[in-house]
Amino acid sequence: MDYIIISLFSIPLITCGVLWLVKNKTIINLINIVGATLILVNVLIIISEVLKHKKIEPTFFYNAFYVDSLSAILLLITAIIGFMVSLYSISYMNEELAKKIISLRKLKIYYCLLHAFILTILLAETTQNMGLLWISIEATTLASAFLVGFYNNKKSIEAAWKYIIICSVGIAFALLGIILLYYSSTQSFGHTIHGLNWVFLFNNANGLQGSILKLAFLFILVGFGTKVGLAPMHTWLPDAHSQAPSPISALLSGVLLNTAMYGILRVMIIVNKNLHSTTFTGRLLITLGLISIGTAAVFILVQRDFKRLLAYSSIEHMGIIAFGMGLLSPLSVFGAIFHMINHSFTKSMLFISSGNIYLKYDTKKINKVQGVLKVMPVTGVAFLIGIFAITGMPPFSIFSSELSILISSFNKNNFLGAALILFFLILIFAGFINQLVKMFYGKPSSKEIVKGEISKTSSMVLIILIALISVTGLYLPGPIKTLVDSARNIILGV
Amino acid sequence: MTSLLDLLNMLSMLILVSAFVLVSNKRVNSYIKTFRMQSILLALIAGIFGIYHLIEEKRFDAVLIICLIIVVVKVIYIPNMLSKLTKNVEYKVEKDFFLNIPLSIIICCGIVVLIWYVVTLIPEFNETYRKIFLINSLSVIMIGLFFMINRKKAIGQIIGFLVIENGMFMSAILITFGMPMIVELGIFFDLLSAVLIMGMFVFRINKNFDSIDINKLKNLKG
Repeated sequence: MDYIIISLFSIPLITCGVLWLVKNKTIINLINIVGATLILVNVLIIISEVLKHKKIEPTFFYNAFYVDSLSAILLLITAIIGFMVSLYSISYMNEELAKKIISLRKLKIYYCLLHAFILTILLAETTQNMGLLWISIEATTLASAFLVGFYNNKKSIEAAWKYIIICSVGIAFALLGIILLYYSSTQSFGHTIHGLNWVFLFNNANGLQGSILKLAFLFILVGFGTKVGLAPMHTWLPDAHSQAPSPISALLSGVLLNTAMYGILRVMIIVNKNLHSTTFTGRLLITLGLISIGTAAVFILVQRDFKRLLAYSSIEHMGIIAFGMGLLSPLSVFGAIFHMINHSFTKSMLFISSGNIYLKYDTKKINKVQGVLKVMPVTGVAFLIGIFAITGMPPFSIFSSELSILISSFNKNNFLGAALILFFLILIFAGFINQLVKMFYGKPSSKEIVKGEISKTSSMVLIILIALISVTGLYLPGPIKTLVDSARNIILGV
Repeated sequence: MTSLLDLLNMLSMLILVSAFVLVSNKRVNSYIKTFRMQSILLALIAGIFGIYHLIEEKRFDAVLIICLIIVVVKVIYIPNMLSKLTKNVEYKVEKDFFLNIPLSIIICCGIVVLIWYVVTLIPEFNETYRKIFLINSLSVIMIGLFFMINRKKAIGQIIGFLVIENGMFMSAILITFGMPMIVELGIFFDLLSAVLIMGMFVFRINKNFDSIDINKLKNLKG
């Protein structure tokens, strides 16, 4: 059963290699889908294993790999969204190829980079060695830099440059945090090969030094927080997520932000166990969360570009997750983990429908798009439902998780925080409805717009995602609830 | 052991001084040369450490491999690549920095003083040598960051990033006496690919914007 992890990595590696050699468009699409399906199957096997035995701890490579419930949830999100994105990429890229915006060679590069990106994300979520975690998260930045700058025009290159510079500098600070963490570990336990392994650090957390751990946590919060998109380190996010091709935006928003949050959580668990109190880490996370939600609210009110508006919404939801994690009560951590799942599905659905709108209308500006419900019924309905879902309307899933976090904030007597969040959520709802509802009604302004969906594949992906976010709002399947509960216990350190 | 620590202390001070020299450089070619000198000093630190372990404790420490990699990658390969890149792109930017040089040096002095104060607040670092090593490393990192935000040319930002990485390696070697080998090799690989990718992007910026002035990238706002 240990070899299941090796197969998890070899699938995207082999897919990337084989894609480089193939020249036929249909075979490229086929290999892409087969690779994504195999990853999904592999992750489902891993999840069934984790449900039975609580964790997978293979011993090769000096115990570098480790999957417990927290990693398992993130793997599930990655695999499902990776599959949806690969399926959607086929129709998106075929359309771009038909319009002669990209060449066949660029198509090959896109798919190779997509699978390399998914490989680095899977690596970051299954390792317990803090150094290897850092290396994988830096590798995700490098793998996605060319995907963000894919279209090679002025705006894309500016977005990609900001992305790579800000994220690399941020992650360099996280490396300083990890060096300090390792220093603390060598001071107490000497130079062992397990010095950077999370399980070893967690079991012996009381032997580490408190003040060095506080300094390390600060650097890691700022460092990985850049990658999560917490304000004031968020400035790369609107540009990168709006200039990338839509399937890549879905993957960046839905998966990568969660993975960076996972890095912060692992260190937070160790620091909380050492300090025996959660005020230090909790206060920092709550403050950064509130600042992020506030920044996102202010900028959403004045947006002119619908993809950029969705990117600011990602900042807001990551702020809500940080706030939930910072409160560190059982209900709020449950809500935050649940919110990670819900936000990924809803945001991917929104980005995929916005991709369809971009392909049909050839513009990203809100005031140039009209009549989406008439031209593309399925996309229009998905986008409209998505707008209400992402701003927290019942019965969709985001309502349940936001409600849990707000209830636990009142329980912990944090009235100011809850009041601020409610105020910002109202602003964001107003901004969304005010800007975006204009796009759906009326008649399309230009006569060249052909009525009809982009392709059946994209409609199918959208319908599956709508079903997922509607069902999870009302009923959480048993295995998923078990996983979320045990992940919550891991974060609380019990 | 004390003479080893004295030697390492002197070298770390020299690296801090070279960071100040970097901030005061005006032209691209001179700051690539300063970066090369700083990397030679860093390789010396790693090399002296490895040789000490070889002679005194009679074991082969993996730090020597790191010294070799630093020499090959940061002293020879990356400065050459950056010089070739500078020759190929348009580099006539009128005024390369946002704040003039005397003010930058005063700010860097202020940064070092601030880091002195912060490190003295941490009770665990009260041995003299360890404290000074941490102060020097953090100062190099912060001065690299300041250099990065003060310069308008894209190549200045790459050099700033590389100086931050020099500071990281300095802290890793001086404070923890070497991280596990796999982690250090992985970090090197990541940094090398990051610099290569940034170099490719500078090329694309030059082709699309006809200059490498970062101040001109103003299309995405709000």
